[in-house]
Amino acid sequence: MSDHVLKLESVSVAFGGLMAVDAVSFQVAAGEIVGLIGPNGAGKTTVFNAVSGYYKPTRGRITFLGQDVTGHVPYELAAKGIGRTFQVVKPFAGLSVLENILVASYLRYPGQAAARNKAWEVLKFTGLAERANIPAAGLTLASRKRLEVGKALALEPKLLLLDEVVAGLNPTEADQTVELILKVRESGVTILIVEHIMRVIMKISSRIIVLNYGQLIAQGQPEEVAQDRRVIEAYLGEGSSAANGSTP
Amino acid sequence: MRGLPAWLWILLVIAGVGLVPVVMTDAFFLRLFTEALMWIGLAITWDLMAGYVGYLNFGHGVSFGVGAYATALLIVNAGWPFEPAAALGGVAAGLVALISGWPTLRLRGAYFAIGTWALNRAVMQLALVLDITGGADGMRLPAFLRPQFFSWVMLGVVGATFLVLWLLLEQAPFGLKLKAIREDESGSLAIGLNPAKLKLQAYVLSAVPAGIIGGVYAYWITFIDPASTLGDLVTDQAVVMAIFGGLGTLIGPVIGALLLFAFKTYFWAYLSDYQVLYLIILGLAIAATVFFLPDGFWGTVTRRREGRRALQKGMALAHFPEK
Repeated sequence: MSDHVLKLESVSVAFGGLMAVDAVSFQVAAGEIVGLIGPNGAGKTTVFNAVSGYYKPTRGRITFLGQDVTGHVPYELAAKGIGRTFQVVKPFAGLSVLENILVASYLRYPGQAAARNKAWEVLKFTGLAERANIPAAGLTLASRKRLEVGKALALEPKLLLLDEVVAGLNPTEADQTVELILKVRESGVTILIVEHIMRVIMKISSRIIVLNYGQLIAQGQPEEVAQDRRVIEAYLGEGSSAANGSTP
Repeated sequence: MRGLPAWLWILLVIAGVGLVPVVMTDAFFLRLFTEALMWIGLAITWDLMAGYVGYLNFGHGVSFGVGAYATALLIVNAGWPFEPAAALGGVAAGLVALISGWPTLRLRGAYFAIGTWALNRAVMQLALVLDITGGADGMRLPAFLRPQFFSWVMLGVVGATFLVLWLLLEQAPFGLKLKAIREDESGSLAIGLNPAKLKLQAYVLSAVPAGIIGGVYAYWITFIDPASTLGDLVTDQAVVMAIFGGLGTLIGPVIGALLLFAFKTYFWAYLSDYQVLYLIILGLAIAATVFFLPDGFWGTVTRRREGRRALQKGMALAHFPEK
């Protein structure tokens, strides 16, 4: 098996004439946390949708654990080991928190008892155990975002795609979520994360990929990327390259 | 007694109900008894799609009618005995669901309701124009006048259906998977579910028992025609019973079926001069339930909110694709 978990080779996603993602190539190695950043509309979520099978790439190739998975449907990719969260959270609102995680646990544990064990393990891991029996609709935003992570973790993914799980949280909640993400990485899951909050992305990412208008404009260590002239211009407009990039 | 497992309780209740025809042998009573069971069967199988998956199937009567006609054709034209004929009626209904589910289950919300209603109309027209089904004149089956026998057969079919649905929907993972589709179909893909496959399984699972029930009905009543087996009223009454009782539960539609059937019986007994009123009251009852008791009787009592979730999904005029 190759050392990369995920590999994109000039992947493009077009909607009609619009190139939402334009010939993007990058790799994610095992155990990494890779941050995917870029201004609004840069194509970050589209990359997620292509990797998780929600969109079929117009061109290019996606390889997961050495296997070509281009154009595979989401449930096949979930079974192969790609878990994802949604920017606009998708809890099963009428089901309890426990049921939300339980239904995801069936993927690896078809039996009821084993699935329940797994669900409780995830509930404890994500700090949702106390709220196990309330309907997901009754959770705060912070808890709903945790639930998203929990549902993805119940799939026992090898690669976890986190789409803005920190955005919208207050600083305390944000710190707790960052802790959770680091804990997930320690458990051996590779993470690709989209996030707008630079404080978070700079802190947790081992590497950062920057998209703008669907194209990859920079990638590297957080400090390198923060100093990159093209990145600063993408965020602040041309002629802003004198600005300090750490809080664009 | 409390230590008994739930499935044993269900079997005991079914056995207990089975004793009723031993004691109450009056023909009129047995007819009501059998028909009430029939509506319970149609209401719980309708609720499988509506309450658990969030798909309002306004063509549930297709399964009932196809089962009835298949059974009648096998008995009358092929000389089959009743039991295998009714079983094959269920298979026929399941096959029709398998074929028709492929296009209709791609529709969502209100469009699925309209699509399945149109399918019901198409099948009814087919029964009206074909020679083999006797057209509007319907079909007459050899009479087997044993009311007790039919009450037990209906109880066996509906009781077995209840038990199977209870095991699959309330005990096995299948039910929770269907509910996940009801709650968020696109989100269900991400946790490894294949909604297209699960929906088709549920659709066929709701059709087969309805087809067998149709077959039992045909042999029991000894006469079927397109209006009585494929008319809107077959589906509509099951719909009102399930929604009134409470979607997304198995007990709800049973209660709804019993209450509505009791009302129907009293209405026809005492107010049969005002037949047209029955349909108006049925319509008002469904509108009032959706407005004031969206979780249905049982959902309101147990404070489960699954009924309104199912209705929200089932009546949606648009679905919002993934951004």
